[in-house]
Amino acid sequence: MSMNNLSILLDKLLLNSSKKIKIKLLNEYFEQANSNDRGWTLSIITNSIKKKNIHLNDLKNLIKNKIPPELFELSYDYVGDIAETVSLLWPKNKSPNLNLNLSDFMNDIFFIDDKKTVLEKLENIFDSSTSSQIYTIIKIITGGLRVGVSNGLVRESLVAFGNRSSIEIEEVWHGFTYPFFDFFEWLLGASLPRGLKKEELFHSFMLAKSIDNKIFLEDPSDFVAEYKWDGIRAQMIVSSTFKLFSRNSEDITDSFPDLKFNLNDNYIIDGELVIKKENEILPFNILQKRIRRKKITNKILNELPAHFIAYDILYFKGKKCTNMNLNKRKGLLSKFISKINKDNITFSPSINFSKWKELEFLMASTLNNHIEGLMIKRIVTKYEKGRVANSWFKWKKEPYTIDFVLMYAQRGHGKRSSFYSDFTFGCWVDNAFDKLVPIGKAYSGFSNEELNQLDKWVRNNTLERFGPVRSLKSTLVVEISFDNINHSDRHKSGVALRFPRFSRIRWDKPVNEVCILKDIKSLIN
Amino acid sequence: MKITDYYVSQGINLGKVKNTSDLNLSELKNQIIFCPPSAIHDKWSRKFKNPIKGIVSGWMNIRQRIKQKNIQLPLIISDHADWNDILLTTKENNPHKVLVTHGREEALVFQLNKLGFEAKALNLLGYEDEYE
Repeated sequence: MSMNNLSILLDKLLLNSSKKIKIKLLNEYFEQANSNDRGWTLSIITNSIKKKNIHLNDLKNLIKNKIPPELFELSYDYVGDIAETVSLLWPKNKSPNLNLNLSDFMNDIFFIDDKKTVLEKLENIFDSSTSSQIYTIIKIITGGLRVGVSNGLVRESLVAFGNRSSIEIEEVWHGFTYPFFDFFEWLLGASLPRGLKKEELFHSFMLAKSIDNKIFLEDPSDFVAEYKWDGIRAQMIVSSTFKLFSRNSEDITDSFPDLKFNLNDNYIIDGELVIKKENEILPFNILQKRIRRKKITNKILNELPAHFIAYDILYFKGKKCTNMNLNKRKGLLSKFISKINKDNITFSPSINFSKWKELEFLMASTLNNHIEGLMIKRIVTKYEKGRVANSWFKWKKEPYTIDFVLMYAQRGHGKRSSFYSDFTFGCWVDNAFDKLVPIGKAYSGFSNEELNQLDKWVRNNTLERFGPVRSLKSTLVVEISFDNINHSDRHKSGVALRFPRFSRIRWDKPVNEVCILKDIKSLIN
Repeated sequence: MKITDYYVSQGINLGKVKNTSDLNLSELKNQIIFCPPSAIHDKWSRKFKNPIKGIVSGWMNIRQRIKQKNIQLPLIISDHADWNDILLTTKENNPHKVLVTHGREEALVFQLNKLGFEAKALNLLGYEDEYE
């Protein structure tokens, strides 16, 4: 494949927002490419490679030797992306070389460490390239492709390409590294490369279904109840190496060095990742803040220490235990926890109960802010992949519902691009009832018919327009549901809601019946 | 349609021009429909089933814009002379003064000055609002 083919693929991926089309485009590309190009392309698309010593600034300097620096800066102001500005401004040759081979390029550039040599080579290549090619090359080298392709989507395209299922791919592909040549051999049927131990790779999570009232007719002693922590699901793989994976099989090891440790034998632990400081679990939005950090400094480790609440075990001392029942697994897990004896890895306690009523009472009264509800797990079940019927149940707390005033509306995306479907809502600052403060954003929970009504209302009640956003007359009350509320220093209001969505539109309700900020803050416990 | 009628009245042949509101949906299938850029994401565009939205503009050179505008068919054709041709035309005509308009004129003014022409921005109101 040529670099030009890759440029075309990337542009098509950018232009098509449909998942189905993206999967098809990727699949067609993989079918046509030779094995080397496949591997390099996968490395590029999944952001698995980056040329560490070349930065956007180097490329900026490169072009500033070719054109007046002021012209670059002025153009950059319009375009807003360095790679794109450089690619458009680079003086073009009348007959560009469209046959630059992808694998040759990667082999040539990626294994040279000397910065000067690489930049010289790039300059040469750019001199005989199109804008699209230059853009592609810069994005390959500096990372950050942003063509709207998730790892899950790439995985689906690979299912269609090879002989492996989505779960199989999800479980092993983190074991491979760029340029993924052996990975494609495996996809087409070869066995796993020696040295890749399946038990040290990611294992698909067992997932829960929503609670079913039929459960309450069963004998409570067949079940275990646990708290449903408000963190992120994570899998810890401990052996001579250490890995941490998120729910969607993202490798998040490097974001949580404070959890890292090693053992001689292999252990796989399932649990919830939270931030816990001075014996208190901090709100979910603080965990999000920590996940988003690229650089983990000592300050962050001190201020936002990670904590792993373990609730299941898949491998104990190198032996698979997924076929055991839940009680046996919990026994092994507690053995493991006391053996490692770490403050930031603890056992998720089971809740003692003999009647379902006791749990109902617990749900209604005593659960605090960092607990989303309860998990009910059937004791006899094995640890299985995916959402297994009749095994694990999540029982979420009733959401909060509060009335707010609509403040801003923004047009949606894709099919909703002609509708005002993304809303900012707020409450009154104080008892004067004359100033609103934005509290959150919601873009779901309404029916198509309600969306039509809202869209019409927005168009007829606009105060001002700022690009795709409209500010609205403070006249419409909406009832918003949300799962949780916490303090936040990132929001003007000082509060952050968890998963806000519409529950009702209160066409009839007067806006002065909406509460004030103080009332909202008092909900935080 | 007024502008279209005017062009036709001035002898510019635009072929058969029909108004979409005079046609029913089945007739609009697989057709190319023209509208001003501001209408493309407006209520009007909702009546078309699964449309592929395109914009014809020099701005379509820029991926960030394409994505921002939610466009599947970017056609890079400028409705004015573009950068290279403006510079070429200026060189050919060798004017003593160039006044640049259409908003965002800094880069062109800079480049013209660099080439030895006296160039200035002529500010007009409202030129940035084209795509709302």
